[in-house]
Amino acid sequence: METPRAPNDRRIVARGLTRRFGDKVALHPTDLDLGPGRIIGLLGPNGSGKSTLLRTLLGLVRPDAGSASIDGVRLRGDGTAVRRRVTYAPGEIALHGERTGRDQLDWLLRGRGPEARRKATAIAADFALPLAKRVRTYSHGMKRQLLLAAALAPDVGVRILDEATEGLDPTRRGEVLQRLAADAARGTTILLSSHHLSEVDRACDALVFLADGRKIAEDSAAAVAERARRLVRMTFGDEAETAQVAARLATFPGAQLRVDGTRVSVRLDAGDPHAFLASVLSSPGLPRPRAIALGELSLAELYREVYGVEGC
Amino acid sequence: MRRELRAVLVRALAYGLVLELMLVAAVLYWPQFRDNVPAILRLVPGKVMGGMVAAMASKGAQGYVIFQHFFKGCHLLGGAAAAIFAASAVAGEVHRGTLEIWLALPFSRLRLLSERYVAGLLAVVVPIVATSTSIPWLLSFVKEDASVGPWFTASLHESTFLAALYSATFLVSALGSHPTAIAFGALLVMVLEFALYLVMEATHASFYRLADIEDFTRIFDRGALDASVILPLAAFSLLCFAGAQIAFARRVP
Repeated sequence: METPRAPNDRRIVARGLTRRFGDKVALHPTDLDLGPGRIIGLLGPNGSGKSTLLRTLLGLVRPDAGSASIDGVRLRGDGTAVRRRVTYAPGEIALHGERTGRDQLDWLLRGRGPEARRKATAIAADFALPLAKRVRTYSHGMKRQLLLAAALAPDVGVRILDEATEGLDPTRRGEVLQRLAADAARGTTILLSSHHLSEVDRACDALVFLADGRKIAEDSAAAVAERARRLVRMTFGDEAETAQVAARLATFPGAQLRVDGTRVSVRLDAGDPHAFLASVLSSPGLPRPRAIALGELSLAELYREVYGVEGC
Repeated sequence: MRRELRAVLVRALAYGLVLELMLVAAVLYWPQFRDNVPAILRLVPGKVMGGMVAAMASKGAQGYVIFQHFFKGCHLLGGAAAAIFAASAVAGEVHRGTLEIWLALPFSRLRLLSERYVAGLLAVVVPIVATSTSIPWLLSFVKEDASVGPWFTASLHESTFLAALYSATFLVSALGSHPTAIAFGALLVMVLEFALYLVMEATHASFYRLADIEDFTRIFDRGALDASVILPLAAFSLLCFAGAQIAFARRVP
């Protein structure tokens, strides 16, 4: 199955991309068509296959089946042609501790040209990184920023950033996401993985969700937010009350129920959640909920409710 | 890249300097050695060692310096350098977790590994060639004549021998993830092989037979490299390098 492509299309396209490690299928056949000029969040809990997918797209891990193309270049062999058109910041932070920050940046930017080095130095200065010091003296967050400076500097059509905001303080995380938004506004496609949805949801135009090596959802961030607004969560006094409510709500058309202890989560396929809630509350004989959450659910909670996947 | 080249240069210079200092000391000791050969022959234990000293004595300063520089200095220090430089080539990156950022560079794996192989190999062999070609100049201080040509040729033989040791260790590094264990393993093999060389009954099973005093003496006598030795050694190195490429192509971060 060939991936459609056009030169410099700034898209990330995959068809049936698959990777196994021994008997374990780390990445089940996956289709993607992402970009251009957008920030796409790749989300899922630890071990869901995010890093394997990213590494496979870059040629760092060879796919067992399927095809991929990035920025119009087909993934072949060890992926050199793809990596020339993409920058990558890995999720696992491991750098050459004996090098200075400046030397490490130079090393990370080999083959990218002097302009990329100048830009990376400027980004590192914005991040207040002490480039003259050895990398071994850097904190976890500083190392992350050094990798980001190297990944954000080159003038490429696609950036792949694995756990880019992990380990950053909220202020710096905001700055990084702003920088990514500005980059995407210039037409760059950014694939941003995270296992903390709340860290990246504001910045993303679209979201791809992985669980157990499978893509289980792909949607625009706006559509996902809309679905979040149609989630109603009620907490009752005891499990008997909860069971009573659940039995009654199961008869409501277009309402998907999920019961967890004394909590009932209702996902509405359509319609106004306020009207639904009003009809529930006015139903005779039903116990009153102790707490109600409506339109307040984070996207992480939404995924837990909708897809039954914990950990993001 | 400049930083990497600088690191290779520093390592090569450091080990080349030690090699040269050992050579200077050995050459300056030559007059005393020459005058005490009969006594030394009586003291040397074992047939193999005795044969080595006799071979040295029969070839005068040339034989003595061959032993001191190639058999002692280069085999010892060069072998250690080959083991240490090669062991960290790939396994070092795996061990500290930097394999992924290395592989993510916009270059083919063939290029990445070739660069590293060549850089390490040059760091091992250039000091051998450089110090060897300084021997005629050093010998002039003890009033011995020598020309650069044969010493240069002999250094190529030694370089090919060390390249084989380097390449074998490099292959193991491409497969492994513990550079220290690989380096110590390679050094242990070298020590065992050297011990084997000194045992009369087993000496021919030692790879040090491929670069001992007899081999170097033949090179000086013929004025040319011994193709029957260096071609198989070079082929072995190439084979190890090809194996390392195959192993490296399969590595995942």
